[in-house]
Amino acid sequence: MTVSSTRAPAAPPELVAGSSFGERAPRGQSPAHKLAERARRLGDRLVAYGLLLPAIAIFVVFFFVPAGYLLYISFYHWGILSSATQFVGLTNFRRLFAQPLFFQALTTTAYYTLVMIPATVFLALGIALVLKEAVTGRRGGVWRAAVFLPHVTPVVATSIIWVWIFNPQFGLANYVLTSLHLPALGWLDSTQWALPAVMIDSLWHSLGLYVIIFLAGLANVPREILEVAQLDGAKRHRVFHRIVWPLLSPTTFFVTLLATVNSWQAFSQIFAMTGGPHGGAGGPAFATTTDALLVYETAFIYDHFSLAAAMSVILFLIILFLTFIQKWISDRVVFYR
Amino acid sequence: MNVPLARRGARRSGPVSPAGLGRILRWALVVAISVLFAFPLYWVVVTAFNTHNGVFSIPPRFVPAFHTDAFLYVLEHTNWLHYMLNTFLIAGSTVLLVIATSAAAGFALAELSFRGRGFFLFMILAVIMLPAQALLIPQYAVALHLHLLDSYAIQIIPFGASTFGVVLFRQFFKSLPREFWEVARLEGVGHLRYIWRVALPLARPAVATVALLTFITSWNQFQWPLIMTVSHSVQPIEVALSHYMQTFEANWRKLTSAVVLALLPIVALFLLLQRYIVDGVAGRDSGVNT
Repeated sequence: MTVSSTRAPAAPPELVAGSSFGERAPRGQSPAHKLAERARRLGDRLVAYGLLLPAIAIFVVFFFVPAGYLLYISFYHWGILSSATQFVGLTNFRRLFAQPLFFQALTTTAYYTLVMIPATVFLALGIALVLKEAVTGRRGGVWRAAVFLPHVTPVVATSIIWVWIFNPQFGLANYVLTSLHLPALGWLDSTQWALPAVMIDSLWHSLGLYVIIFLAGLANVPREILEVAQLDGAKRHRVFHRIVWPLLSPTTFFVTLLATVNSWQAFSQIFAMTGGPHGGAGGPAFATTTDALLVYETAFIYDHFSLAAAMSVILFLIILFLTFIQKWISDRVVFYR
Repeated sequence: MNVPLARRGARRSGPVSPAGLGRILRWALVVAISVLFAFPLYWVVVTAFNTHNGVFSIPPRFVPAFHTDAFLYVLEHTNWLHYMLNTFLIAGSTVLLVIATSAAAGFALAELSFRGRGFFLFMILAVIMLPAQALLIPQYAVALHLHLLDSYAIQIIPFGASTFGVVLFRQFFKSLPREFWEVARLEGVGHLRYIWRVALPLARPAVATVALLTFITSWNQFQWPLIMTVSHSVQPIEVALSHYMQTFEANWRKLTSAVVLALLPIVALFLLLQRYIVDGVAGRDSGVNT
């Protein structure tokens, strides 16, 4: 439905107040009617801008202006307390690229993201397939809710639980490992296992969302096709491989994109799990310092705002690039009905 | 999965029919997955109410005891109520603001014709393309220049507009019969009155969905208040918890008691309204998809 000019030609009285033709404007194309019509449109337009103003103003002031301001700060020497703001060209970027820690953070973020994407897609789809029939039952909502519940919990609160579970001496994780006759791990105290511990927390927290998205996607696969395939005696894995997977590909693409963007920007769970009792977040020995953490610490712990802005520009570009490359792939692979 | 294999094996043996066995396996898996997801939340309750030594016992006690001393200590010796009220205030105000701005913008985009409509819609949609982490530095600078740092306002206003809210209200208002608006116009009802008295009440499902999802998102904010505020007087519960992590360093019963307190309201809300919340999220995120 689009708004057309063929609407009932009556102007709200408050917009044509004082004029001799109010709501009784004659139908047809008399001059009075034309004038009323024009007044109505003008009124509509002004009201529309007024109604849009609050939302647009918030978006402009707190999102679009900062997006532009980011570029500005990254090319300037800028600090909260320093009044001497001066143009420094690419100096911030040059200093950034001279920092090994920046590249280490990029590598850590890439590692985190590259594990999280396949783990997310594989586990979320697997769980959705298992739950698919259960959730359509009379009390099926319970299973959906159980899987989704972690996603609505505040991250710091639940990260504390996971820090406790990953406690090397008394934690459940090591209890389970030793019960299975596996060696206990240092988890958050170990440079090797700290990030995997964070990944487990993140997966627990985020999978519910992706399961829900996959369930919605699976519900859109036409039943008739599946029934026909079954009548023809097609094996389960073949039905999945040839019918469900291709039909689901837009959903899979969407989940992949969401998981990529979210993983690359992971902050709160890493901060909460590796900070707190463990001292500076991002440790041990910067093993869990991702892009987002490095930006935070550079700006708000070490007060190097311009450097952090330069990092943010790179972060921005990376996410934009990842989005475009996935779009490019999806245009070639994804099957849209 | 092993279901087809198990089926073949069970074909001629035992009282359980092959289809039955597959069903049992499937249900076992469903229950196992649900338990696995819910377990950490159970575990935090068990830890909070355990005995002092029970927390460190190996093998761990999986059955909850009811020793409330750590919990009562946290109740009495922390400012949890203050932080909780802050969180409620911030989340509640954000919800009201989002409903107002979204309904207004959604109505304009759905019902009125004006120049620049496509452009404004594009702008509102473009916001979700901006990566949140990359904007924090300049957002901090903007807040600094506007003298909004360390206030309730900086935790409310920037989240007072929502792309999802605008899009959902626009969709909903478009689905209302055109005649309502036309009759209202003939009767001389103004725009705002029409939105408030007719459109919003009819859009109650949209209001509920936007309110719930906004409330949960706002309640769970952490990084934003961590950066934008320093005074305990305006900080929400999540930031307080990160302080408690230092105060209660290795005192797991007290720390988990604080966690239980922080989780209670949001988990209760979810359990009460889970159907609407999950449906709302499914609609929001699959809606973007199509």
